[in-house]
Amino acid sequence: MAPADQIALSAADETLSPVDLPVGEAVDAHPLRWTSVTIAVAALFLLMTNAVSIRDWANDLTPSPAQARFAAAAEEWVAITDRIGLGAPRATLHGLWKKAQAARFGDETDAQ
Amino acid sequence: MLFPTLTFGLFFLAVYSVTWAVRGSNEWRKILLLLASWIFYGAWDWRFVALLIASAIINWGLAGLIAGMPEEEEVARRKALLMLGVVANLAILGFFKYFDFFLEQAGELLGAIGFARDMPLLQIVLPVGVSFFTFQGMSYLIDVYKKRVPAAPLLDITLLMSFFPHLVAGPIVRASDLIPQFRETPRLDRGMVAMGLLLIVWGLFKKAVIASELSVGLVDPVFFDPSAHSQMDLIVAAYGYAIQIYCDFSAYSDMAIGLAALLGYHFPHNFNQPYRAASLQDFWRRWHISLSSWLRDYLYISLGGSRRGFMRQCANLLMTMLIGGFWHGAKWTFLIWGGLHGSVLMLERIWARFRPAGWPTVPRWLGILITFHIVLLGWIFFRAETFDGAIFYIRGMAGSDAASAVTTPLALALILFGMAIHFTPHHLAQGIAVRLRNMSAPALGLLVGATILIVDAMRFEGVAPFIYYQF
Repeated sequence: MAPADQIALSAADETLSPVDLPVGEAVDAHPLRWTSVTIAVAALFLLMTNAVSIRDWANDLTPSPAQARFAAAAEEWVAITDRIGLGAPRATLHGLWKKAQAARFGDETDAQ
Repeated sequence: MLFPTLTFGLFFLAVYSVTWAVRGSNEWRKILLLLASWIFYGAWDWRFVALLIASAIINWGLAGLIAGMPEEEEVARRKALLMLGVVANLAILGFFKYFDFFLEQAGELLGAIGFARDMPLLQIVLPVGVSFFTFQGMSYLIDVYKKRVPAAPLLDITLLMSFFPHLVAGPIVRASDLIPQFRETPRLDRGMVAMGLLLIVWGLFKKAVIASELSVGLVDPVFFDPSAHSQMDLIVAAYGYAIQIYCDFSAYSDMAIGLAALLGYHFPHNFNQPYRAASLQDFWRRWHISLSSWLRDYLYISLGGSRRGFMRQCANLLMTMLIGGFWHGAKWTFLIWGGLHGSVLMLERIWARFRPAGWPTVPRWLGILITFHIVLLGWIFFRAETFDGAIFYIRGMAGSDAASAVTTPLALALILFGMAIHFTPHHLAQGIAVRLRNMSAPALGLLVGATILIVDAMRFEGVAPFIYYQF
């Protein structure tokens, strides 16, 4: 972080909005393009690595012939991404999280 | 349409693309944002879009009339129009939110004096966000009356009240904050985008992971049947609710602020590490800041504030907090909650004024501890369905015969984490955002995508509505 930025940082009670950052040395040419590329890359990354969520969402949509076709395509997309290993990071993380959820001090009852 | 869902994500991508595509015309951009906001609101119930539009037209029309009258010549008429507007806004709020409650109370009163009657309850459906947009409309009228802001065009007022990021659960963005921004085509800069993305991802984590996990796994089952749970579960669930409501509500605000930033608008702060407050007065400068400042500016000061003597100041404080409590909903438990906060705020004022000379001041750490536990006590009333339920819960915390043990290591870790985030450095988020804005777009996109993937892998199945949707 540039020293100028460190000096100019301000707390929540010192600015009008949380998104008011101090003017820094960052290149601010084409901020809309920069933002759009950022969002597009994030969306593409999630499309490739989080097919399970898309399938779950497709299955929750109001039933109709179009929904059935979309759900089938989403299921196929899950299979494709799993075959090439793109779904593995999410599956591993989800498994670890489920283990953390299942951990007990000893004699707890499951409230869920 | 809830923020942390794929449906909303796709909706927002469409809004982002379309509104920035027409940035050459600010008027068209605002019209498209307005249509998008109505689609967002109509996803709950299309009928209430008409209410939203009617409310905006009333406030726009009355504000225009007030602004058009010369202050010196038309004092009484200006004031009458203001009163008409305030009453109209309160009537909308009162009908949808409090009509059945007052009728029930009248029925009970009649029964108690021997005139029991079947009351014509209407079972009115509460429009989501009605408390927020009516307060927004009222503050706009008062600001125009006091010449703090000029009267705005219908499009701007309708968009101010309908703008989807803040529409259903705040922050209560005032006309003076947003109308000047609507006048010009907004511009993005990397800093606001980086901070906006950070707030969206952080809000997603707080809501989908911390609040949902604590709610479903601990708080809901314990508050549903306190008699079936052990003393330890009751105590931990009370702390759990304090963290849940913070992570739930502040998550909505964070995401709202972040989404608005991606569309080019600056929303005000709504939370600032509230559980590190060393007094209740300090707490209300950090919790739901847009509501507490609204209550201060439009209610407490209107009641006289501190200008009419110390006793009157204390009474004004209590009255403001009681009304603030009742704003949350038509239940006695909310009044008790507001009354508790108002009483402690009064006691703080009395102590500050009459503290004997030479007595030591309370150390800050002790102030934080005491304040947090007063807030915690208030949350039990806020969460309980009834006053008796809250008292039963508190008694159970002092001692319970039940032997349940639903507290898990994960729940405990999330509570501790939820507390710990209140004691991080003041500038942490800004410092991170400053670093993020210097990254290349593909690198930042990968980072955002990876973080959302981690949150999604941890999130609870399904998404519960935000707590503040019911207000």
